[in-house]
Amino acid sequence: MARFSRRRRIGIIAFISFGLIAVGAVFFPISMPHFQLAAEVLWSPLGIPITNTMIGAWLTILVMGGIAYAATRKMRLVPHGLQNVMEAALEMLLNFVESIAGKENGRKFFPLVATIFIFVIANAWLALFPGFMSIGLWHGNGEEQVLVPFFRGANTDVNFPLALALISFVFVEYWGFRSHGFISYMSKFVNVRQYFGGMGQMLRGRVRSGMGMLFSGIIDIFVGFIEMVSEMVRIMSFTFRLFGNMTAGEILIFSMMFLIPWVAAIPFYGLELFIGFVQALIFCGLTLVFLVMAVAPHEEH
Amino acid sequence: MGAIGIDWQVLLAQLINFGILFGLLFFLLYKPMRRTFDERSNRIKESMEQAEQIKEQMSRTEEQVREQLAAARREGQDILAQAAQMGDRLKEEARGEARQEAEVIVARARTEIELERDEAIDEVKRQFVDLAITAAEKVVRESLDREKHRRLIEEVLEQAPGGER
Repeated sequence: MARFSRRRRIGIIAFISFGLIAVGAVFFPISMPHFQLAAEVLWSPLGIPITNTMIGAWLTILVMGGIAYAATRKMRLVPHGLQNVMEAALEMLLNFVESIAGKENGRKFFPLVATIFIFVIANAWLALFPGFMSIGLWHGNGEEQVLVPFFRGANTDVNFPLALALISFVFVEYWGFRSHGFISYMSKFVNVRQYFGGMGQMLRGRVRSGMGMLFSGIIDIFVGFIEMVSEMVRIMSFTFRLFGNMTAGEILIFSMMFLIPWVAAIPFYGLELFIGFVQALIFCGLTLVFLVMAVAPHEEH
Repeated sequence: MGAIGIDWQVLLAQLINFGILFGLLFFLLYKPMRRTFDERSNRIKESMEQAEQIKEQMSRTEEQVREQLAAARREGQDILAQAAQMGDRLKEEARGEARQEAEVIVARARTEIELERDEAIDEVKRQFVDLAITAAEKVVRESLDREKHRRLIEEVLEQAPGGER
């Protein structure tokens, strides 16, 4: 290749790529993709549906468990190879968590937040491997045949983001109750002190101040209600942010493969790698922020 | 909800999956890694402390060595001074002894010289007496006996100036 200048080399590579695209498009057309939002059920032994996204999640567990085992099997003080890589990644994550939650809380929240991050990013990246969405069985008959893949990224099944969102919600509330106590934490949502105080004033005949307290009491109750709703809405936003992004990515790659198969779809894989990282970071980061907000001392009403 | 595919069984399965991964990562990744991090930071802290200690010890040893060196130098100087003093004393003593000996020798020599001079004088006297006797004999042709003669001469000699001693 040394005979060619840099510019000519790039030209040759581009020519070969276009050739491949043309040949691929003409001689090896990708069949019209069929995409179904709900995860396909492969089998239902004992009435429990086994979906391809569940298999995807199990694969992620296997891969991550294997990597974790391999990285920490022989821990050495002077890290080496895989241990070094995992240590660097984990330390970065730990620094991220501690920078937001502080040293003490960071250590408490780290396992949950890190697991969310690792699960989401591993799901997203594993789903880009060949075999995902492409190995499966043809179902249907005649012209209406569709491929039901065995492996599908768990992020693209709404149940997985929903499960993560529920876990995130449960742990946020758990830490909230734990650090404030039941009454104190509940008073953030059901704040009736001012209201009843106002009622008491009214009964004692101090109508003017009673009315004022009653009014601000009603506002407090309303604010508490909004707090509660926002806390519930988090579940929805968590779920659909991850689900939407990852599903859209899957559909994007599907469409690109259909429109311009072969080499031209590669940049979109890069994009999906980036989006997988960003979504994982957003999910764990938001969970972390909500955890910090839940344990932060709130002003007494 | 059916179109997006929310299914409580799958949801439950994914919750369990999360729990499994959580457990796996907790025991296989977070715990050992945290332990290693702590161990490593401890080790680093320890070795830094150790280095500090060694440095301190080294400076202390250096100080000690310097002190010892100074002490040795001082001692050496003391010894040197003592030696010089002793040398002086010895020299002085030797000189004194030599002088004494010399004096003794001189004194002995003087007495010997005196003795020899006395002897020589006596000898000269005797010979002179004998000579005088012989001369007198020759003069008076043995008119006097020897004993009388001797007495006579000695008398003369006694009376002679410088004869008495």
